[in-house]
Amino acid sequence: MSGVLVIAEQRRGELRPVSLELIGAAESLRRDGDSVAVALLAPSPGTLIEPLKLAGVDEIVAVKVAASEFDPDTFESAVSALIAERKPDVVLVAHSVDSFGFAAALAAKLGLGFATDVFKVERQDGELVATRGGYGQKVNVEVDFPGRTTVLLALRGNVFKPPEQRGSPLVTEFSAPPVSSRSTGREFVELAATDDVDMTAAEFILTIGRGIGEEAKVAQFKELADAIGATLGCSRPIADAGWLPKSRQVGQSGKTASACKLYIAMGVSGAIQHLAGMKHVATIVAVNSDAEASIFGVAKYGIVGDIFEISEELRRCF
Amino acid sequence: MSRTDAVTRILFEAFPTVEVRLFYVLGYTAIAVFLYGVYVQIRKYRRGAALKLEGSIYSRLLDMTVKVLDQRTVARRDAAAGGAHRLIFYGFVLLFLGTATITLQYDILEPLFGIRFWHGEFYLIFSLVLDIAGIAMLAGLLYMMYRRGWLKPPKLDYARPDRAAGDADFERPQYRREDWAFLWTLVVIGATGYLLEAARLVWLEARPDVWDTRWWSPVGALIAEGLQRLGLDAHGGGVLRLSLWWFHGILALVFIALIPFTKVKHIFTAAASLMVRDPLAAQRLPRVPENQAAPGVAKITDFNWKQLLNLDACTKCGRCHEACPARAVGAPLSPRDVILSLREFANASLQSGKLPEAAELDVHGKSSGQVAQETLWSCRTCMACVEICPVAVEHVPIIVQMRRKLVEDGAMDPILTKTLQTIHKTGNSFGESKRKRGAWSKSLPFKIKDARKEPVEVLWFVGDYASFDPRNQKVTQTFATLLHEAGVDFGILYDGESNAGNDVRRVGEEGLYEVLAGANIAALEGASFKTIVTTDPHSYNTIRNEYPDFGGKYEIQHYTSFLKQLFAAGKLKVEQPVKRRATFHDPCHLGRFNKGYEAPRELLKLLGCELVEMGRCRDNSFCCGAGGGRIWIPDPVGTEKPAQNRIREAAAIPGLEVYVVSCPKDLTMFEDALKTTGNEGKFVVKELIELIREAVPAPRAEAALA
Amino acid sequence: MKIMVAVKQVAALDEDFEIGEDGRDVSEDFLIRDLNEWDDFSLEEAVKIKEASAQAVEVIAVTVAPESADEALRKCLAKGADRALRVWDESAQGSDSIAIARILAAVAKAESVDLVFAGVQSSDHSFASTGIATGALLGWPHAAVVSALDYSPGSKSAVFRRELEGGLLHEVEIQCPAVLTIQLGINTPRYASLRSIKQAAAKPIEVKTLSDLSLGKGDVGASGSHSRVRRMYIPDKSRAELIEGDPAQQAQRLAQIIREFKGDAA
Repeated sequence: MSGVLVIAEQRRGELRPVSLELIGAAESLRRDGDSVAVALLAPSPGTLIEPLKLAGVDEIVAVKVAASEFDPDTFESAVSALIAERKPDVVLVAHSVDSFGFAAALAAKLGLGFATDVFKVERQDGELVATRGGYGQKVNVEVDFPGRTTVLLALRGNVFKPPEQRGSPLVTEFSAPPVSSRSTGREFVELAATDDVDMTAAEFILTIGRGIGEEAKVAQFKELADAIGATLGCSRPIADAGWLPKSRQVGQSGKTASACKLYIAMGVSGAIQHLAGMKHVATIVAVNSDAEASIFGVAKYGIVGDIFEISEELRRCF
Repeated sequence: MSRTDAVTRILFEAFPTVEVRLFYVLGYTAIAVFLYGVYVQIRKYRRGAALKLEGSIYSRLLDMTVKVLDQRTVARRDAAAGGAHRLIFYGFVLLFLGTATITLQYDILEPLFGIRFWHGEFYLIFSLVLDIAGIAMLAGLLYMMYRRGWLKPPKLDYARPDRAAGDADFERPQYRREDWAFLWTLVVIGATGYLLEAARLVWLEARPDVWDTRWWSPVGALIAEGLQRLGLDAHGGGVLRLSLWWFHGILALVFIALIPFTKVKHIFTAAASLMVRDPLAAQRLPRVPENQAAPGVAKITDFNWKQLLNLDACTKCGRCHEACPARAVGAPLSPRDVILSLREFANASLQSGKLPEAAELDVHGKSSGQVAQETLWSCRTCMACVEICPVAVEHVPIIVQMRRKLVEDGAMDPILTKTLQTIHKTGNSFGESKRKRGAWSKSLPFKIKDARKEPVEVLWFVGDYASFDPRNQKVTQTFATLLHEAGVDFGILYDGESNAGNDVRRVGEEGLYEVLAGANIAALEGASFKTIVTTDPHSYNTIRNEYPDFGGKYEIQHYTSFLKQLFAAGKLKVEQPVKRRATFHDPCHLGRFNKGYEAPRELLKLLGCELVEMGRCRDNSFCCGAGGGRIWIPDPVGTEKPAQNRIREAAAIPGLEVYVVSCPKDLTMFEDALKTTGNEGKFVVKELIELIREAVPAPRAEAALA
Repeated sequence: MKIMVAVKQVAALDEDFEIGEDGRDVSEDFLIRDLNEWDDFSLEEAVKIKEASAQAVEVIAVTVAPESADEALRKCLAKGADRALRVWDESAQGSDSIAIARILAAVAKAESVDLVFAGVQSSDHSFASTGIATGALLGWPHAAVVSALDYSPGSKSAVFRRELEGGLLHEVEIQCPAVLTIQLGINTPRYASLRSIKQAAAKPIEVKTLSDLSLGKGDVGASGSHSRVRRMYIPDKSRAELIEGDPAQQAQRLAQIIREFKGDAA
């Protein structure tokens, strides 16, 4: 077994950026003589191929499948065939909603070594060692895969760096075996934004989390956000409870604060799903009464204190 | 026999026999209707669940008799109404006794044994007393009419916060009609009684023993003079007397017959309610009976007979409505309207021969007579209602038992649900690990004994808020230091202590309460101590009053009594008096629940504070709003909180410097309210312990710590 | 029809926890166990289907764990599950998601269930794999991250929405029987009063062994797993620079940071 096979992700005709991160990771796992191939599953590869032409990619395999969007049976069948033909020793997918739908099934059926939400992967003495979190991300766990000739890893997003240089890989086609899928994708549904805010464009965000306690307290932080000139955002529990519209939710199933440069998180514990949406921000300030809150692990500045007091005092400064 | 000796009133004088018989028929009919009415009421109460009363029936009877005779409960917080009601009550009772006396002789003693006593001097004094009684009653009634019609005190306003205009039972015009009908009926009975008396006098003006002794019935005599001036002669008097006799008689009989069907029944139901009251009604809630299928009250028949009686005892006096902190801030709860709704429901469903289907007996909901969830969840279980009710209605247990059903159904605010799950998991409402319960003590320069491991004299039950809330932890540390300096041999249970459960019980999660009480009692049983002290009034209440029901009986004091003893024994000395103008907020669970009004005041006096009382103090203290689980339920956006209402009351005291509390929840609520009402900087909120610390400075070596 | 809900009693770390001597897991003393948050939602979804259905639906809560997990199963019974089933054998110690899935698939077959629910992931180790692996081992259609579900018992298909990144939803129709992993927020889990939990304690928890399910030691534990834990360690936490002082001072420093940022932006 040799070589790294990367399964790219696409949705609604666009390549998902995490695919490029997988390539970066693949590069670090390449051994002498290994090749790195990126598989793209789509009815017609079209414009999806271009962004994949990065340094380190030896081959782009355009896999022709009937389903235009992700479908478990399609992916399992196609990737299974790819593995059977190419015999890679590592298969990389993103730890994403799509891969939740098929990766474990593939690993179970084919007897692959398997680990998910991996944020570090390396070879130690020739053996593949993956590191993931444990007990709510409070510990790190190193796993290996004795006796498994092929290992499937689902890598955490926003961790691995895509290659910076462009490349000119070979582009080949692969005919996936026909599959009668047992599920049919219908439409995509966007949640109606009830206000015009675009969290992905905001440069300065003030986010509130579970720590605010009750809906009545939202108003005070709205005022504060206005006073300091920030866009008000929230973590999942606040949006689920209906205290703020879903359009203001930052996190994995919410928005990514892509343009943000200054992020103040008040009463946010820092669950991994929220961090996914903001930990890349250059300056993060966390305010939380719990000194052990995970948010302090990604923040540049921290205040361990009562968010209501700090909010009032801060209001006074503006 | 002298003339005066013979003087008496001949009953049915000049009546044809058929009329006398007719009167007796009407009389017995009235009594029969009355008895039937009583039967319907009693049948209604018996349709409720069973209940065994505690205590001897004789002491209950005595207690009730005293209360009814001196009418003390009606005079509370409304001296004028108390005075007027006393007049009505004594007047009515005397008049009733008068009639009963006449009946005794006329229908029983004279015909059966030939005994006559109602004549001569006795008769004359009797007449005078009854005339005065009648005036007293009329005076009282007229004042009440003035009160209702002109003074219109807010507590008599039947506008209700738990319904909106358009709801079927929003307007209750029948209440007003009944109130006025009651007043007018009695006034008319009284007035016609005097007129009748006067008419008889004019009719019998030629009879010397009647006419010459007429001033023993002064009111009648006065009116008689007036009637004669108007030209009434003896014959006219006779006609007037006869017609008034029948009018007055029939009106009175109708009144009696209708007693069980109208507000007038409170004569009996109020007395009965007082007799069957539970002196610890809100302080000690009832357990869920073993054999009960589902906990709490779902149907009207799940209430016990005493509670159904309570519903009928209510006279709509409005004192509970006035005292309720939730109602005061506009929440959809009035204790009065909970009781009245349920009463209407009980009357509609339980007074006919056949009992309706179970589905029609559901008391939860928004239809006529039902109680809505928001109403039940608004209650702070502060027991202001129970404490002030003149007829011993027990609102709080009724509300809590209805909450038990809501909890079983999961019909709660999501934050409350989460809190209950958190308390179950970690034993505290903060979600902190059990191990951290004693963490507040780590920064102290001395080690507090672990009462689980070694015997102590005083076991200090700290409580959730005092252990985990950062602001309250400071107070807890200060108290620990004071005890240490006073040389008290004390210890705490560390992680052996769980939330005492007082509020969990009042939320209605009885199962979780049993788990918490069981855990705490097991920890206490495993420890060795003489007495328990606590800084938390909620824990104090449940350990003192409710734990015995679960096998844990301990001597327990609130810190105010305990510190008072330490001062008295000289173990703590005031060295720097705190000469500040202060007001004291009686915490519900220490003050009203357990009558602990004096110790904190004596301490404040000892410290040198100038104590200025707020209008609503002691038994009338206004709850901070955190009780009954409300500290775990968010308040609707934009409404006033009880704590804000209370702080505004304090802010009206000129020159106030300190608002003193002695409960962790009070400290939290009032410090917050101080800011949100814009009173920050005008005065401060302080725990009594903190003031004591100021007055009793730490010994030099540990001065840095204070 | 029968719905099987796979549940897990997860472990959260207590204060001052320690890694055990073998360096591969945290000592038992420091673990606080509770029912997985996702399982509240998947169980509620199953019970809702049962309550809305005219035909009889049996909800079976299943877990692969030692006796300490009975508490979590009792909670499931209190919340509306009809039966609770636990599978355990010492050899299952150290099973990864796929080994667990093997056992769950065997239970699903033995019980002839019609639908399998699992949570998207568990709050302790977040593999996000067990449910889908079970689907593969059963050979059933499967889907993950279901945030809305429309299914009538007896129907040959179900329509659901999967919750994608960024809050986008994808509506899908899937053939049944199927395995679905359920996402948070799909419903509002009901409260199980302590009384109902106590009453549930009277109900039996069925315990099955591997041989009951025709599984051998090789199917589970380390031999049945597709990964192996080499080492567990506490990572060095990168710490934020803490702003000290009283709230007013802290707020002032923060205001300064904000102004500096705006100065840059302006």
